Amino acid sequence: MFAQPSAPLVRLAVRAYPRAWRRRYGVEIQSLVVDRQVSWADLFDLVLGAFDARLHSQLAPRPALAAILPARSVPVPSPALPAYGAMPSAPVAVQTRRAFLRRMLGAGIALVSLEFLGGSLAFFWPQIRGGLGGKIAVGTIADILARQPDFATGWPYSHPPARAFLINVPAAEALALGLPTSVPNPTADQLLVLWRKCPHLGCQVPELCDDLKRFTCRCHGSTYNILGEKLKNGPAARGMDRFAVSINADGVVVIDSSQITAGALERGPDHLVFTDAHPWDAVCPY
Amino acid sequence: MPNDQLIGDLGRFAEPALLVLVSLSSGPKHGYAIMSDVASFSGTRIGPGTLYAVLARLEQRGLIEPLEANERRRPYRLTDGGAASLDAQLREMDRLMRAARLRLPDLSG
Repeated sequence: MFAQPSAPLVRLAVRAYPRAWRRRYGVEIQSLVVDRQVSWADLFDLVLGAFDARLHSQLAPRPALAAILPARSVPVPSPALPAYGAMPSAPVAVQTRRAFLRRMLGAGIALVSLEFLGGSLAFFWPQIRGGLGGKIAVGTIADILARQPDFATGWPYSHPPARAFLINVPAAEALALGLPTSVPNPTADQLLVLWRKCPHLGCQVPELCDDLKRFTCRCHGSTYNILGEKLKNGPAARGMDRFAVSINADGVVVIDSSQITAGALERGPDHLVFTDAHPWDAVCPY
Repeated sequence: MPNDQLIGDLGRFAEPALLVLVSLSSGPKHGYAIMSDVASFSGTRIGPGTLYAVLARLEQRGLIEPLEANERRRPYRLTDGGAASLDAQLREMDRLMRAARLRLPDLSG
């Protein structure tokens, strides 16, 4: 039943040849496959031949052979148009305009896609090189003590570029308990950095108040102990957020404001890491 | 020899090209006649795609030339260059065959 490929299939295979090639050999090949019983192998051979003809377009027949070609039954668009080979300029111009428009459309789409892709990738690119959101060098402990000597006795050191307090933890605890102690050379794990942004609604948390040694936000009165833990008063749900801190090889204290640890949830006085000398509900007087 | 190179660089079409040249050496033939002729003298079937790929190459190299079409069929003729190329090719094969026979005398009988 399918011992031989059907005639339309064979014609399709012949159509796979390039146009110039078909103009030159199409009639011959058609007559050949009509004369001969075409097998599936022949059809396959034709398809391979079409590939070959497209791969080797320089094999396309030359214009010099136009003279011996039979007259075409189908009228040629332009009277001056030879059957193949050098095309007269007019049809070329029409084709070129269409091709040009198509190419410009393609180029436009490609450009827009490229911009979109580039923009998307740029969006993911980290923008922050320094300042808040990046690493911020504070200076050595000696620098800090030179600027603010009472950092050694536990007073928080405010570093505005990081919008944070640097806390000398052992000294600060002693200070809040009313037993001032000097810790002039704290190590990195004795340091704590509290982000001065109140976890309630983001107001800047003011300096430590002198009498209670606590922080009370002026906006809504959220009160934190000297380590930034939330005490009874105020609407904030958790303690102050913390930035990572380290001391590099040169002894410089570096705050990494990209690494934020949310403050601990407020869970009552029994859960505080540090309890100072004042009642749970005492508030700085503002 | 330039003609050797003309047919030598045909790659996978070298063998069918040789058969087509041999077929045309006995006179001009059209495509179908070449295929039948090749099948009868060599037993090799050349598909239509292969045949026209070969004809295009041989024509481009000036080894064959197309004649006036007769109805829908176009005969091809061996050119002088094509004849020389075929001759050189056959001599080369002959030389190779004699060299082989000398090495394998047992098979010469």
